[in-house]
Amino acid sequence: MELSWWAHLWSVLPEIVLVLAAALMMAVDAWLPEGRKRELGYWAIGGLAAALTVTAVQAAQLAGGIAVPYEAFGGSVRADLAAMLFRVIFLLAGILTVAISMDFRPLRQSGEYYILLLISVLGMGLMGAAVNLVMLYLALETVGIALYLLAGYLRDTPRSAEAGLKYFLFGVFSSTIMLYGLALIYGFTGEIAYARIAQALAGLPAPAVMAALLLILVGFGFKVSAVPFHFWTPDVYEGAPTPVTAFISVASKAAGFAVLIRAMIEAFPTAQANWVAIMAALAFVTMTVGNLLAIPQRNLKRLLAYSSIAQAGYILIGIAAASPLGVAASIFYLGIYTLMNIAAFAVAVIMTNVTGSEEIRDLAGLSRRSPGLALAMLAALLSLGGIPPLVGFFAKLLVFAAAIESGLLWLAIAGVLNAMVAFYYYIMVARAMYVDRSPEEEKPVWISRPARFTLWFTVAGVLLLTVLVYPLYLLAQMAAQAF
Amino acid sequence: MLQGYAVVGLYLLLSFALLGVVLLLWWFLRPKKPNPLKLETYECGVQTVGDAWVQFRAQYYIFALIFVLFDVEAVFLFPWAVAYNQLGLYAVIEMALFLLLLLGGLLYAWRKGALEWA
Repeated sequence: MELSWWAHLWSVLPEIVLVLAAALMMAVDAWLPEGRKRELGYWAIGGLAAALTVTAVQAAQLAGGIAVPYEAFGGSVRADLAAMLFRVIFLLAGILTVAISMDFRPLRQSGEYYILLLISVLGMGLMGAAVNLVMLYLALETVGIALYLLAGYLRDTPRSAEAGLKYFLFGVFSSTIMLYGLALIYGFTGEIAYARIAQALAGLPAPAVMAALLLILVGFGFKVSAVPFHFWTPDVYEGAPTPVTAFISVASKAAGFAVLIRAMIEAFPTAQANWVAIMAALAFVTMTVGNLLAIPQRNLKRLLAYSSIAQAGYILIGIAAASPLGVAASIFYLGIYTLMNIAAFAVAVIMTNVTGSEEIRDLAGLSRRSPGLALAMLAALLSLGGIPPLVGFFAKLLVFAAAIESGLLWLAIAGVLNAMVAFYYYIMVARAMYVDRSPEEEKPVWISRPARFTLWFTVAGVLLLTVLVYPLYLLAQMAAQAF
Repeated sequence: MLQGYAVVGLYLLLSFALLGVVLLLWWFLRPKKPNPLKLETYECGVQTVGDAWVQFRAQYYIFALIFVLFDVEAVFLFPWAVAYNQLGLYAVIEMALFLLLLLGGLLYAWRKGALEWA
């Protein structure tokens, strides 16, 4: 079927909006007087919100059956509900990140910061839609380069520079290894499109496919910070500016999972028995190591780093299940995780502004100092921990159910045990806020308006989705059918 | 397939052998009369001063980037100008767009103070 030029453009319309917004912001940034640079944050939110509106319309059209999924640009990107839902996650994460960046003290107001953020969101959107190896690699690098710069954005702070450099070195190294895998696949099959690779791989000896698969998984494992490839995570999360950490922990991870799900299901269906075993092992190691290493942490950002590694482990369970339910559970989990993790990081940003430190003990007495902030953090932590009434519980329930359905009972049991371990360190943070006393309890906590918006949005989102679990699950299920 | 690689291997050996023969021949034939002037790195040219481990201004890097902008522009302009007669209106518009984009980049760099040596 010959596509019209409009159909081609429609498939990447959110990205086009983002490019225009970024170009416009460069012009605005160059001509805006020094004292009004803060307004650039609103420009960035505007651009992201415009792209989000476009994506929401497209998602609604696809979900309602008005539009049908198709591949555009010679089979580079696919416009389907999964791609759109992932875009919604990235764009939401982008908006919320900009909102907590605007008044984050260490970040001097500058246009480049927001433009880089927009560019990385753009790349993530393409990652979610990519259905061939070239597009996949291009999108991965677009995101990677923007994020390396953002992680090292505070040039004058040695920790941030270190984070940027570490992220860059690990990122480049793992993407090189992944490139070897992609080259092997191309060498074996002579194809770059996922669907054709799947056909061509069927006749190949298993060890060859396995070698390529393992090399590719190094790149994906880095992106989602799965355990043997997680060493960069704590240092980068600790050193990078806190809003950037929030963004990397949520959007970059979701983008990694988007490509992981699509590549595994669409390009390697013939090797499914192999990658299911790898994913199950990765999931087990990732959540166990992440949770155990989170326990001794005293720095809030490091704790959240290890917690996010563990969360990646739970999400991998859904992929290991390799069933429609498993994929739906993973997408569901990623959506929820975005909200609750950004809420936790928003509190970290606000506390860094107030106390200048990121230690957990500086949260002491927060429940008396700012009850609302403490309550927001508590909701985020309990949801991350998977405490029953909150929506985080349903996310865990779904991935465990998917594992049991696919005959991975041991993995589900390991997941439940891990959730109990995780509960301990989330409660330790809550304990610092509610039980520990601090001499500074009288001092009020200043929360800027954009940060207040982020807090309200994420916490309200978590609470609202607790009630509306089923519609969200249906949406995730419809998206999973795209594969 | 393997025989094809054998040819490559033979060719490799042959080229090494040829190089060795040339070097040996040269070593036998050449006169050996070294003197300090002859052993200098640059026989003709300016005397070197100090060593190469000096700090450069980081700003050179920005200038280099902006130079690349014009470099790429020239690379595209020459073939465009040569083939101009066959290309027609479409090429004019394309090139105008391209130049405008580059101009935008230059204006941005200018406004950001990248051209000021301070």
